[in-house]
Amino acid sequence: MISPSATCPVRVVLAVVVAGMLVLTGTARAQQADPDAGVTGPLSGYMDFHFNKADGEDGIVDFHRFVLLLSHSFSSRIRFVGEIEIEHAFVEGLEESGELELEQAYLDFLITRAVNVRAGMVLMPVGIINERHEPPVFNGVERPFVDTVIIPTTWFDAGVGIHGEVGRGLRYRAYVTAPLNSLEFTAEEGIRGGLQKGSNSNVRNIALTGRAEYLGIRYLTLGASVWSGESSFATPRLDVSATVGEMDARYRRDRLELRGEFAQVSIGDAARLNDSIGRLTGVSPNLATALRGYYGEAAYRIWNAGSPRDLVVFFRYENFDTQFRMPAGFQPLKQFDRDAWVSGVTYYPDPDIAVKADYIYLRNQSGVFANRHLVNVGLGWWF
Amino acid sequence: MMFRLLVLAPLLALTATSPGAAPAAQSQGVRVIEIVAERFEFWPSRVIVAHGEEVELRVRSFDTIHGFRIIGGGANLVVPKRGKGYATARFTGTVPGRYTFECNRMCGAGHNFMRGELIVRAAAGTVGR
Repeated sequence: MISPSATCPVRVVLAVVVAGMLVLTGTARAQQADPDAGVTGPLSGYMDFHFNKADGEDGIVDFHRFVLLLSHSFSSRIRFVGEIEIEHAFVEGLEESGELELEQAYLDFLITRAVNVRAGMVLMPVGIINERHEPPVFNGVERPFVDTVIIPTTWFDAGVGIHGEVGRGLRYRAYVTAPLNSLEFTAEEGIRGGLQKGSNSNVRNIALTGRAEYLGIRYLTLGASVWSGESSFATPRLDVSATVGEMDARYRRDRLELRGEFAQVSIGDAARLNDSIGRLTGVSPNLATALRGYYGEAAYRIWNAGSPRDLVVFFRYENFDTQFRMPAGFQPLKQFDRDAWVSGVTYYPDPDIAVKADYIYLRNQSGVFANRHLVNVGLGWWF
Repeated sequence: MMFRLLVLAPLLALTATSPGAAPAAQSQGVRVIEIVAERFEFWPSRVIVAHGEEVELRVRSFDTIHGFRIIGGGANLVVPKRGKGYATARFTGTVPGRYTFECNRMCGAGHNFMRGELIVRAAAGTVGR
């Protein structure tokens, strides 16, 4: 029989044990059953689909991008990342119907903070958007025009290089990659058509690309990029060296975010390239020697209580001209000297989900081609 | 007494695990270092601790869920999404040297860029790693 004096310590011990079990149970519950915690499966990726309506045209709904991301760690120092993208939901063999692309597939050999090696299919480290192009990280349903027409995002190719960070926030990437095919350049979209995309890419010549970013100042990110490559393997008698130079800045403090970017493309031997393409196709492409674009964007988080009470309004001005400087004897096509006034909202029901709407007034300097009014609505997510 | 424990235990559990729980003032005199995680960077990406100093690392995300691991330093955290609080870890600079911290939860194609450095400054006469 247990005496009353002995019962008390036993009850205390039992109570402490039960309480401890409850504490553990409560901890597990709080960590595992939190509906806001989110879950990541073996795959990750991002997707977006859009409604686009231009004045005088029928609206369209497009499942623009469906991207799956795969990763694997061979060890803590050797890692694989791959990204497969289906564009426009349907692939028929012609780009107009859709694209199935291997946008990234590289191995990272992580050596030190300062020097690491990357090899495979890599994104060109040029501009704000090309390496961070997922819907929740930029405002606007579509990517900025400058990051589409002047910098041909998503720009990727096979390559090898190094990346790392030194000092207090100075990051860099430097790669050797395949060059562009200048025969595919156009007056309207600049160098975009020349991407070889790592598909039997011709490396008669190589391209060098690099980016430096400084993150050492709180709230501010400064970046500069360059890409340069002799791109005339299809016209070996020419000297079509293409160079892309770019500078950008991002500033974010409290509810305010500002970003700006300037990019310029130069194309060597453009006059002779126009003649060569003209002889091949019967039409001179009227390529410029220089393309230029820039934009500034201001965004303000008017609802800042955390998802789902998270709403951003923004305004962006863009100026982009794929006929900025012409070779001697060629006149610029002024319909390709454009600017855009973009305003809209981004709503985040979750930090990884963006519901977007914007209005764009797209002008050109031709005086013949009409300016355009565009309304876009989009839904994008990233997990 | 039993009743009190039954009532208090869940409250204690929630207090201990809530990522956004208000920190104690000065965290018991320990220096608090705020780190922001965002695809694909940490800010600051370099943290300096004195030899023997104990610090509290308070990691907050600006976007999605991230991981925070100090290689060889013990910490291995899940950083909640933006607006859902922060994760904390205590670190004591017992061995001088350079420690890499990284996001160890796949957060996108630039995930491997999310690395930083924690430096434990050696006092005169100490041996580092």
